[in-house]
Amino acid sequence: MQLYAPTSTAAKRKAFRAPALASLEGMRLGILENGKLNAEEMLAEVGALFVQRHGCTIRTLASKRNASAPAPAATLVKVAQEVDFLITGLGD
Amino acid sequence: MPAVSPRIHEAPDDLLAAIDYCYEQGWTDGLPVVPPEVSRVRAMLATESRAADTVIARHPATELELSLHAAAVNAVMAGCLPEHFPVLVAAFEAMDRPDFNFHGSTASTGGSAPLLVVSGPYTDEIAMNADVNLFGPGNRANATIGRAVRLILRNVFQMIPGISDKSTQGNPGKYSFCIAERARGNPWPLLCAAQGYPAGVTSVTVFAGGGFCNVENHGGNTPEQVLGSVADAMANYGCITLGQSVVILAPEHMAIVASAGWTRERAQDFLFTHARRSVEGMKGVGKYRDREYDTQHGDGASSLIEPGFVHRGLLPDDILITMGGGDAGGHSCFIPSWSRGRGSIMQHGPINLGRK
Repeated sequence: MQLYAPTSTAAKRKAFRAPALASLEGMRLGILENGKLNAEEMLAEVGALFVQRHGCTIRTLASKRNASAPAPAATLVKVAQEVDFLITGLGD
Repeated sequence: MPAVSPRIHEAPDDLLAAIDYCYEQGWTDGLPVVPPEVSRVRAMLATESRAADTVIARHPATELELSLHAAAVNAVMAGCLPEHFPVLVAAFEAMDRPDFNFHGSTASTGGSAPLLVVSGPYTDEIAMNADVNLFGPGNRANATIGRAVRLILRNVFQMIPGISDKSTQGNPGKYSFCIAERARGNPWPLLCAAQGYPAGVTSVTVFAGGGFCNVENHGGNTPEQVLGSVADAMANYGCITLGQSVVILAPEHMAIVASAGWTRERAQDFLFTHARRSVEGMKGVGKYRDREYDTQHGDGASSLIEPGFVHRGLLPDDILITMGGGDAGGHSCFIPSWSRGRGSIMQHGPINLGRK
């Protein structure tokens, strides 16, 4: 019996990891908070540790209006030009 | 992204062995599926005039795509008949709109399930159930269209429990959550008409439903009493958010409401007005967020709302109300939205028939 596979027939997207930073010292840091309760507070605390321990500078604080939707492409493109690395996370 | 050819599996000719084969591939929702044999899939696709590789929905995070072909394969597996397929297609075309937030509502800990409410004459043509045991088992169209939604989420979009589907508890609607709006004896315009579709067009409304809350009231004899109990269910501390709502009134309850001359709009206004909690009460259970109305609906939205109270939803229009279920019994239901806010907004679309 011949069966069709029930999976997507879209070609698989090629995904690449960003190269790891050689050092965190003096890097420009971005924060993407998702709008959930406590998210901004928690991420700001984490960001402060990078500033304190590695001399990073916080360049961008971006927010998502909808916590569960992917960040808008325009937000990611803008942030990518301004920072060396980005932290994000849930605030629940 | 270019499509690749659908993959064919050589499975055992013995039907029971083929069912076991589908289990082994991880293609099921836990229940046996109809093996998606090639000729059955082609028969399903025969209801469509568009090419089989036409993409009808995309996952915004993974970029996985749902083609008509893949939808047909899963429809066969769910047990759909070809005449059910246009409903399934219309549902995914509606869910594909960004405001439905297809990714979040299927991945979230909230554990929602897409509820399909089908409205219009096609429901009778395919013998959908709008009557007794509305949300229960026993009707092929309701059961299999809803099940096909879940199989597509699992097999095409790879929303796998524990991996990409992080539902804390999920809900039983994740097996199947599809109903027809009851036209027989319905005193209000059907949803398809209220949504602005021409006469004869059937629509499907999709809503990321967070569960099911039975509203029992056998003693109320006025609209205020019946809808008061519905509003109380909508405003319970466990459910109240700024999200949207679906309310399916039992025919007994609808008779009380409509015989008093209440329209759908008046009922929506009543429910919105009464489905509320005080800010102090919300603070008491730790669910109050300052300026949440503005965050969800733009600066200044809080001024639209009664001071000191939080309502369910932002507007009366956030409450979809219609009638469904058997003639006997004072059992309506409220279906809360997924998410604590407005992470997903319900959508509707026409069911396109006669493409071939």
